[in-house]
Amino acid sequence: MDAVRDAYATAEPLRIGGRGTWLRAGHPVQATRILDVSGLSGITEYVPGDLTLTASAGTTLAEIADATAAHGQWLSIDPFGDPHGTLGATLATASAGPVGGRVGLPRDVTVGVSYVSGTGDVIHGGGRVVKNVAGFDLVRLAVGAWGTLGVITSATVRLRARPEADQTFALALPSERDALGTLLSTIRAASVEPLAAELLSRTCAQRIGLGDRAVMLVRLAGNAIGVHHQAATLARLAVCEEVAPGTWIRLQQSDPEGGAVVRVSRRPSELSRLWLAATATPGIDAHGSLYRGVVRLRLPSSIAPLRNFDAGDRQVVETMPEEWRDRSAPPAPNDVLSRRLRDAFDPARVLNRGILGRESA
Amino acid sequence: MLQKRAETFVYTADGLPGYRKQPSLVVIPGSREEVVAVVRLLAAQNVPWVPRGAGTGLSGGALADNAVLLGLHRLRRIIDIDAENQTATVEPGVVNALLSRATAPFGLHYAPDPSSQAACTIGGNVAENAGGPHCLKYGVTLNHVLALTVVLPDGTVTSLGSADGEVAGYDLVGTFVGSEGCFGVALDATVRLTRNPEAVRTLLADFMSIDAAAQAVSAIVATGIVPAALEMMDRATIVAVEASIYAAGYPVDAAAVLLIEVDGLAVGIEPDVATINEICLQHGARMVRVARDDAERARLWQGRKKAFGAMGRIAPHLFVQDAVVPRTKLPAVMAEIGRIAEVYGVNVCNVFHAGDGNLHPCVAYSSEEAPRVHEAMRLIMKLCVDAGGSVTGEHGIGLDKLEYMPLIFPDDTLAAMCKLRDVFDPDRRANPGKVVPMRSCREWSGLPATRQPAVTA
Repeated sequence: MDAVRDAYATAEPLRIGGRGTWLRAGHPVQATRILDVSGLSGITEYVPGDLTLTASAGTTLAEIADATAAHGQWLSIDPFGDPHGTLGATLATASAGPVGGRVGLPRDVTVGVSYVSGTGDVIHGGGRVVKNVAGFDLVRLAVGAWGTLGVITSATVRLRARPEADQTFALALPSERDALGTLLSTIRAASVEPLAAELLSRTCAQRIGLGDRAVMLVRLAGNAIGVHHQAATLARLAVCEEVAPGTWIRLQQSDPEGGAVVRVSRRPSELSRLWLAATATPGIDAHGSLYRGVVRLRLPSSIAPLRNFDAGDRQVVETMPEEWRDRSAPPAPNDVLSRRLRDAFDPARVLNRGILGRESA
Repeated sequence: MLQKRAETFVYTADGLPGYRKQPSLVVIPGSREEVVAVVRLLAAQNVPWVPRGAGTGLSGGALADNAVLLGLHRLRRIIDIDAENQTATVEPGVVNALLSRATAPFGLHYAPDPSSQAACTIGGNVAENAGGPHCLKYGVTLNHVLALTVVLPDGTVTSLGSADGEVAGYDLVGTFVGSEGCFGVALDATVRLTRNPEAVRTLLADFMSIDAAAQAVSAIVATGIVPAALEMMDRATIVAVEASIYAAGYPVDAAAVLLIEVDGLAVGIEPDVATINEICLQHGARMVRVARDDAERARLWQGRKKAFGAMGRIAPHLFVQDAVVPRTKLPAVMAEIGRIAEVYGVNVCNVFHAGDGNLHPCVAYSSEEAPRVHEAMRLIMKLCVDAGGSVTGEHGIGLDKLEYMPLIFPDDTLAAMCKLRDVFDPDRRANPGKVVPMRSCREWSGLPATRQPAVTA
């Protein structure tokens, strides 16, 4: 709080940093120093019977995974990226993983968040209970704001109990337009309720040891009998084989060093078109969510593959080397509400200035 | 437009008894263009106003004290149903249950199901971030709204969020949902639809103590099964329901019953039913009954959904309270609520969403009992806050709970809420005096709510 107050008083711009796993993320930040919050670490409250956990912002996802696994529970965000990334950074960047389309978007699992605004005020949004509509929503305000409305110091998240059975299957993914479209709509309409369904390009599948072909991973969870029957249903729809449960962790943690990561998205029914546009580039490393309609491209050497998408396809940059960018970053969201939010919660623009796009002090 | 006292009388109250406020004028636009025109006129004339859907709210949120009341219930068009992407775009006045009826031919429904779903509107649900029994599995309104077109109190029309790809930047949809009419009016909402479950099983388990029922709730949740709904009713509620036309066959000598529903794929549902059955028996249930058919299922649910109506027979007024506690605190909190009821001599009926710890202590009372009831309710709220809970899980703050806000939020947080309100409504004319206590807004000295409307009919 004092550090932010000082920065506010002297208008000294800060880059918020935890374990540093997200320092390349977003747009270029103008800052004279890093505000290190990695010292704010540790689980402060965990009552397994309540399925909620409160932890300081610098607590890593790996620590939370260990603590909750001991009680047969988990934090269902499971984002793509480094497992030593922090809870604070995960929520600030609204990072999602393969189960995001079903149960794990940060906005949906965060029940409370404390943060220090750009003027040094301490804000406690939400609470510790899973259902709460008291007052205006200061939680959704902070989640996904990339730290530009406040430095997250701690958060309370809801957990899930691990299901009795949890199995993952790999289906061969056709590359031909009609066959792909048919398969995607068949799975969507089928009598299965996957926890996650993710398309992997050939290069992406190779990278995590799934062989030399494009696949769709389908994760089935629930009681053993239900999972068994759903697996049988899947097997009737496509050739599929079971893969190790650790496949998901390998996928999450397989982002290459360097290069860019960009997400391209449209409504879910557009996914087969997006996927074909992505995989038109030979050797592309990409994966896409069946239920969210998001394709995530990992681009080690060039952003040229982005040219294959339509102008209306939405692109969100996770990371990109500075030298690849156009000289001028796109402007930060400039609608009247976003501008006023920034003015209200960080008037001197001392927090992560520029991370959402170009802006002046 | 309505101005005569006799005409505006119906708009002087919502679902919460004990409060009546007289709007200066009631305007009920017939189209989105008319809503925008009215909001702009009110902005130009600097007049405070209050939006209203069906008036089923339970926190006094839609009461207009000498302000203009803007009724949105005539905007009831379903603009689009996109079955493939499982979304619908609707006007704010569309009735919750009618949306699910309209999407039924596609095998889809709108999941949030407040008890008032036969009357309440999607616009009101968005304003209140409404819940309902099935939110345990499917989430509350917040989790189902993808995009909104809103008119801000200054008359600006803007779109928030998107159902067609990710939007970079702030979660403006999440910020708007639950803003209780203080941030503007939703002109349309694009909401997520949910596939109708292939199979549904509803169980009724009866217990000889509330404590045992509460322990069973925790044990069920701990298995990893996410029931579609997990509701508790205590003996007072059971007796009220069974004495009414909504009698559902609940055992009147039980201390508490659990109404548990699981849904999903047909394969795999029976093992979940068996597990829940076993857990209830292990925790002392006398009997677990599984509804044999849709008719029995509907009857079991009717008792729950109409419980508030059944309590209406007991006394002229009914106060439906709303609070949340961590699930593990349920047994202790329920015992203490019983003690408070005894000390104050009030008849508390408990019917609530036990799966997520969302309590609804209800008190049926006569006018002369009002001060006593209010005091007992205040203690119950304090009890829930001290247990680490919240003062509202789904009904909102409105007018009724303003006094409780400082119990759960420190001054700086309340001031931040005021700042957030100023982002959407710097003139503070939309639903003035609600949600955040005035004194929390340090800079709010001249109260806009005291200004007189300048519009004449």
